[in-house]
Amino acid sequence: MANINLASEGGVVNSAPQSDSHEFDATKTRTQGQLVLRRFLRHRLAMVSLAVFVFLVLFAFVGPFVWTYDYEDVTSKSYQPMSGAHPLGTTQVGKDMLALLMRGTGYSLQIALIVAALATAIGVTFGALAGYLRGFIDTALMRLVDLLLIIPQIAVAAIVVKGFSGSWYVVALVLAAFAWMSIARITRGETLSLAQREFIEAARACGASTPRIIFKHLVPNMIGSITVNATLAIAAAVLTEAALSFLGLGVQPPDTSLGVIVLENYGQFMNRPWLFWGPFIVLVSLSLAVNFIGDGLRDAFDPRQTKVRA
Amino acid sequence: MRRTKALPAIALVASASLVLGACGGGGGGSSDANGGDSTIAEMAVARGESADGYTAPETKESDQVVVSTDKAFTAYNNATEDANQSYNTFALVLTQPGAHILNGNNKYSLNKNVMESVEVTSKSPQVVTWKLKKGVTWSDGEAWDCDDFYLAWFSQSNSAKKADAGKYFKAAGTTGYDLMSGECKDDQTFVGSFSSPYPDYIGLFNNDVLPAHILEKNAGVADITKLNKDSAAADIQKAADFWNEKWNGFTKDLMPGAGPYVLTAFEPNQSVTLERNPKWIGAKGGPAKIILKAVPDPVAQAQALENGEVAVNSMAQPDANAATKLKGLSAQGITFGAGPGLSFEHLDIQFKNPVLAKEEVRKAFFMCVKRQDIIDKLISEVQSDAKPLGSLIFFPKDEGYKDVYAEKAKGDPAAAKKILGDAGWTQGADGVFAKDGLRASFRISHTDIPRRKQTVELIQGQCKEAGIEVKDDTDPNFLDERVSQGDYDVALFAWSGGPLKSDKKSIYETGGGQNWQNLSVPAADAAMKEAVSQTSISDSLKLFAKADEEIANAYGSLPLFQMPNMWAFKGLDRVYFQSYYGALWNANEWQTK
Amino acid sequence: MIQYILRRLLISIPILLIGSFACYVLVATAGNPLAEMRFRPGVTEADLRAAEVALGLDKPVVIRYWNWLTDFLSGDWGQSIALGQAKTAVFPAVTDALWTTGRLVIGAELLALTLGVAVGVLAAVRQYSIFDYLATSTAFLMFSMPIFCVAVIVKNYGIQFNNVLESMGLDRWLTTAGPRPGGFTGSFGEVIFKYTGTFLLPTVALMLISFAAYSRFERASMLEILHSDFVRTARAKGISQGRVIFRHAFRNALIPVSTLFSLNFGAVLSGAIITETVFGWAGMGTLLVNSVRQFDPPMLMGWLAVTATLIVLFNLIADVVYGILDPRIRLG
Repeated sequence: MANINLASEGGVVNSAPQSDSHEFDATKTRTQGQLVLRRFLRHRLAMVSLAVFVFLVLFAFVGPFVWTYDYEDVTSKSYQPMSGAHPLGTTQVGKDMLALLMRGTGYSLQIALIVAALATAIGVTFGALAGYLRGFIDTALMRLVDLLLIIPQIAVAAIVVKGFSGSWYVVALVLAAFAWMSIARITRGETLSLAQREFIEAARACGASTPRIIFKHLVPNMIGSITVNATLAIAAAVLTEAALSFLGLGVQPPDTSLGVIVLENYGQFMNRPWLFWGPFIVLVSLSLAVNFIGDGLRDAFDPRQTKVRA
Repeated sequence: MRRTKALPAIALVASASLVLGACGGGGGGSSDANGGDSTIAEMAVARGESADGYTAPETKESDQVVVSTDKAFTAYNNATEDANQSYNTFALVLTQPGAHILNGNNKYSLNKNVMESVEVTSKSPQVVTWKLKKGVTWSDGEAWDCDDFYLAWFSQSNSAKKADAGKYFKAAGTTGYDLMSGECKDDQTFVGSFSSPYPDYIGLFNNDVLPAHILEKNAGVADITKLNKDSAAADIQKAADFWNEKWNGFTKDLMPGAGPYVLTAFEPNQSVTLERNPKWIGAKGGPAKIILKAVPDPVAQAQALENGEVAVNSMAQPDANAATKLKGLSAQGITFGAGPGLSFEHLDIQFKNPVLAKEEVRKAFFMCVKRQDIIDKLISEVQSDAKPLGSLIFFPKDEGYKDVYAEKAKGDPAAAKKILGDAGWTQGADGVFAKDGLRASFRISHTDIPRRKQTVELIQGQCKEAGIEVKDDTDPNFLDERVSQGDYDVALFAWSGGPLKSDKKSIYETGGGQNWQNLSVPAADAAMKEAVSQTSISDSLKLFAKADEEIANAYGSLPLFQMPNMWAFKGLDRVYFQSYYGALWNANEWQTK
Repeated sequence: MIQYILRRLLISIPILLIGSFACYVLVATAGNPLAEMRFRPGVTEADLRAAEVALGLDKPVVIRYWNWLTDFLSGDWGQSIALGQAKTAVFPAVTDALWTTGRLVIGAELLALTLGVAVGVLAAVRQYSIFDYLATSTAFLMFSMPIFCVAVIVKNYGIQFNNVLESMGLDRWLTTAGPRPGGFTGSFGEVIFKYTGTFLLPTVALMLISFAAYSRFERASMLEILHSDFVRTARAKGISQGRVIFRHAFRNALIPVSTLFSLNFGAVLSGAIITETVFGWAGMGTLLVNSVRQFDPPMLMGWLAVTATLIVLFNLIADVVYGILDPRIRLG
């Protein structure tokens, strides 16, 4: 399989395997980190996006404590229009749309963060192991990736959700099971070139164990691409989860998510537009914000790319 | 599709005034929508119906009509186990005529286009004679006659059994036919003798009469009426093999029509096309071509109607979003209708559960459920006049319906509390009643349909007020094994009901095959046993009414509501969604406006 | 090259086998296709058992899988066993669905690719121009847009557009509920009118998303090439700007996009499934959803077998194309 990495979920070219990996001097790591941070803070779009993201997190997790209605409260009348009491109206069963939206955003975020964390952990571990140890492990890993590549995620999600459970964490697990592969490939590519370097050989000569080499020496040197890809994985997970849920193959009641809310209300597009546009705007701002943050991080970690990218 | 250019202008003028009207209406039911000469309720009765039966009326000829429904047509023989589904019937109703038609109010009328009479010629033993009209033919020119009735009976009676007791014909159901032995007296007379009385004989030979001559020719059976349970196994097998599998999908030569329409084209998973049958014996007319198209998403159906791609929507599953949309389109000349459908949601109580075995708990539970509130939230957007269902056996439109649950399930938490309090239960610190170590707490199990989840959510809130704790148990596979093993406290699901009641016996009698809740009401058992052995349908109904009341008094199962069907149409005079046969049951009468 | 292709195909065989077994077990344990039968009047548990035996559902999963596999490999893809499906044969059902999805996807992808490459190249050549900013931000927005929302929006406004057409005395043009029954008939003009009306909305919805990926990808790889040494050398030699862009840069910048085109198959498939669902096309998406809902293993396995094989093929094509376009890469 050609070793091109698409990072297709993120949709952004990731030239990590081709580009030279950044070699940090171990003693200067802090200053390097400060440099990155400063570059990131200067990235205006990323900062605005970060603000939006923080706002959405607060909206999802603090909002419910502040807002009058509970998402489980079904005492209101069906389909109330927008008003002071219900800024986004009520749904068919009489739930306050704003409260529901907070809850849905929360679930979507939870799922996306878990997917990104799991996918990054699995992907980095497997990718680094394969790239460092090569040989049998490498082959086995690549075959596993091939295996997962031929089974469409949408089909597995459908079967698991319909046959077993549609709880939010099950959906998160299914998504993570398919999201780690691109990260593993990128990590593997970077590890292949890093492993040839003197400092790794030195560590090995000193008798460092494989886990130590991977997590103390390899991973810190790939932190840039790992962070960027983890961020992009969040954005991808938000959209994939929403798409699955929209098809009825994702999160099932009693859990909810932005996709589920759109599914339940898109039919009101013309008659009660707020029921559609509310979740739509949250969904788009969430994925836009995360994508821009990812972009900002990339520029911060890899200034060489800044020249190339706008 | 042709379209007159003048129409849009008129529609625009009309819409200006009607939009205002619609706003004033406050979202109430528009079952009596604008533009029609008759109300939706009147459309339930076919124009050709009269006291003594149905005769297809004179109908203006019109062009093509596209009708959408939820699922695709799959088979010409809908009586097999594999194929059986309502969406086949929706198309076949126009091509395979039977002894009766069933109108929108679920009332049977003799189909006088093709039948002379259906009579009980002897009461004990019960013998029924079906007299067919002479001169009725299939579209390929062969006679529609007693052979076809014989095949319908023989294939669905399970009278011929294999040596290992297995079935030759894989029929979806054998109810009624299995009690009968049939014979053709002559080409126009089919006589069925029943081994035990069967009051619901009117339900036989209505939608399962298939062309026997096609089977004879293609399966190599000389004369189907000569086949009986003692025939050679190989001969029966030949006939059964053809019947079981060869009438699937669509093959023009094998699938003629004897009704007002014939099937002429089929695109799997998408559409089936019907055209007027040139050999139809009744009055000619109606749309030249009817395309029945599958559009699974109800909102998409509504949009297709709005966009002029289809002229009729028919949805067996209620959907609030589509209903909102369609009601909002009355200004564009779209008429929306909703009526009670075939199936009803209910809460079955498991008598093996120690808490629910106590009558006062069941009584209090019935009392706390606010059924009208559930309906207001879940059903009213579709059917604004929906009411709680008051019977497990009858639907409100049926003869013999009496609301036996109104007083038992008032949605009154205070009354529910009182019931428990009077029986010596006391509210614990968590607000839940308890007595002798038992807590008034149980699960409601159901599949993952959103409406069911919402129902449970509403009940949870309602019964909490009454000190009863309801837990939600959503299991996608609940209806697979668990329900029939009785593995639940309270089960929420739907039964299909119908004009004929004999099927109810196995659900509610002690030890009945589908009585998974272990209900046992001896008085009801006796009444039902007697009911199914009547020859007259009205005697039978009285006994069923008695059984219904007895079951209600035992607090065994709480009917919630009848699931509505919904439909909408534009440019046609009258369309009604018949719960069994779909929107096309009287499409031969449709006229363009 | 041929040796390479053969080896790749050979490697795929055990993967396909393991994948199919995993899927079969998953499907078989997920639910019972006959569950609904219990609710038919007069059906007894004995009838149900008999039906299960007739379908072989009483046998252990491994044996059922083996039977399925041997039948499948001998060309017999089996029949649907779900109730109400009337034993529809799997092979034609899957190929029909694939064709329905295919005609939608191929057009949309080609359009997206053409537009994406054109916009990407222009944006790279005019880097930091208004056009570049516009293209980049549009692509970013499209990329962050859930495809089902795009489809819903496009559909609703499509209907409004038709209303406008009609009020101007014209025929309604765009359709929203799947291909027309009976295909396209009439004069040449009418066929074009109907054809475009049927395909336009779903194609636009599907195209917008892919377009975003292609244009960004093309822009990035074009930029990389434009800044590379050999292009600088070409410029230094005094070759005209147009010639540099098209003879040197463009050809090389096409390489990653062409592989993306083949590798993107999975994403395109799920996009197609969503678009199809919104626009009522009975393609692969409908087939998948229905066979999962009804726990219909033969149909689902047919579906998975076809998609898995296609993915393997597309991946192979991607590598081969890559090898052909980029002489530095040797397959072997």
